[in-house]
Amino acid sequence: MSLAIEALHAGYGDLEILQGASIRVAPGQIVGLIGPNGAGKSTLLKTVFGYLRARAGRVEFDGHNLVGRRPDQILGLGMSYLAQTGGLFPDMTVHENLGLGGFILESARRRREALDELYARFPLLHERRRQLAGSLSGGEQRILAVARALMVRPRLMLLDEPTAALAPRFIDRVYETIVALNQSGIALLVAEQNVEMILAAAHHVFVLDLGQNAFDGAPAKLRESAQIRRLYLGDA
Amino acid sequence: MWESVADFVVQGIVLGGLYALIAVGISLIFGVLDVINVAHGEFFAVGGYLVFASVVLMHLGPALGIAAATAGTFVLGLAVYPLLLAPLRRRLGRRPSGSLYLVLTLGLSTFMQNGLLALAGGEYLQIPPHVRGILDLPFTSVSYQRLLVLAIAAVLLGGLFAFLKLHRYGLAVRAVAQDPDAAQSVGIVLGRVFGLTLALGVALAGASGALMAPLFNVYPAVGFPLTVKAFAITIVGGMGNLVGALIAALVLGVVESLAVMVIPSQWQNAIAFAAMIGVLLVRPQGLLGRAVAR
Repeated sequence: MSLAIEALHAGYGDLEILQGASIRVAPGQIVGLIGPNGAGKSTLLKTVFGYLRARAGRVEFDGHNLVGRRPDQILGLGMSYLAQTGGLFPDMTVHENLGLGGFILESARRRREALDELYARFPLLHERRRQLAGSLSGGEQRILAVARALMVRPRLMLLDEPTAALAPRFIDRVYETIVALNQSGIALLVAEQNVEMILAAAHHVFVLDLGQNAFDGAPAKLRESAQIRRLYLGDA
Repeated sequence: MWESVADFVVQGIVLGGLYALIAVGISLIFGVLDVINVAHGEFFAVGGYLVFASVVLMHLGPALGIAAATAGTFVLGLAVYPLLLAPLRRRLGRRPSGSLYLVLTLGLSTFMQNGLLALAGGEYLQIPPHVRGILDLPFTSVSYQRLLVLAIAAVLLGGLFAFLKLHRYGLAVRAVAQDPDAAQSVGIVLGRVFGLTLALGVALAGASGALMAPLFNVYPAVGFPLTVKAFAITIVGGMGNLVGALIAALVLGVVESLAVMVIPSQWQNAIAFAAMIGVLLVRPQGLLGRAVAR
């Protein structure tokens, strides 16, 4: 098992958002995380990545306990995180943004190699390397954000609503990228509002509601369940 | 007439270089930590005392003295975040408001002034020029001491900008200024960057204290008026905008220096602060707006 989350509790101040959620991601899987607004999808990803401290429960990644670790330590274990809006540095160039993706790599030579590899894989970014990240189109910014998260060669990526606020023609591109990343051996845990897209791409889907597990299973099983369809997929 | 204009312009540029070292430090710290460092001028004073101790008491020579003042204030600066600001944040469980930081650094300022008074006494200490002699130019002449101030200010500020542009940790400083959450997602540890930024900012003040010591006298409260003036410069240049602070500092230095020719010198500060208030009324974001070293 790559990532195992058990009975996780977390939240902000007096507000406990996650109330015992459990999620599993096997190596090489795309796992979808869906549920209504406020169900705790973002909170779960932020707690796994160490932005928020778990109040109770276990988070294990490749045998390492993640509770109490900082984001930089978790990155070092081979997990990267993509914020909802991409989390780019808009006033820095494409090149500087990518370089910062490799911040935790101590050796300048390894940073250089990772950079060259990504430029070969995303020629568009090489073309635009001197441009400010904020001047790229919405779709190009998502590509830059994904590329930056690849600098550390993660085995698992956490994506928080990768298609939020994106024009429809870019949504397909983002999912093509997700599938391609997965085929190169990276597991992905994707929190998503766009249920149709994630059901088409994921191997396994978890439905969260009010901070707890409501359902989980293969996408096909999810489609069959009338109750799930009515509650979470917006069917009458 | 023209000779004295040239004279005042040269004096003004040197003064501007001094203001720049202090204002750029304040602006950097504000841009990254959102902290208005009221104690900034006290690091200028500490720099002066360190150069006095090295040069006058220990006869180490000016180069070592300036280096000791810069390094000493850097190390002191490294302690400020973990000992003072981080605990406040931890105890509160969230980002403290700006007013809390203001009171905290005002406390640090008073504590440092009093500490210097207790340790070194209140006398005005004099320090011999780091370099002697005068350079004759066609229109004016300028002491090597003033040229040294200007040269080192240029080297330090150039070094800072190069660091922010090229070094891995310099990029991290800018990343935190732009978006702390995103900075964490690439593995930047905020506390380390906060500590480093504070140390860099106050080391610039320490270096300028050491450089200016032969031109000012050294006493516990020597830095405070400079802090206040550097705030004015920082606001005119746009809070957190380093290039803005640099330009505003040079302009203010020259304007202040020239103004003495036509306006009695006791009006000098009134003019500087009237300019600040004027800018705030018309363009509250400063002349160049907010941006840390793009």
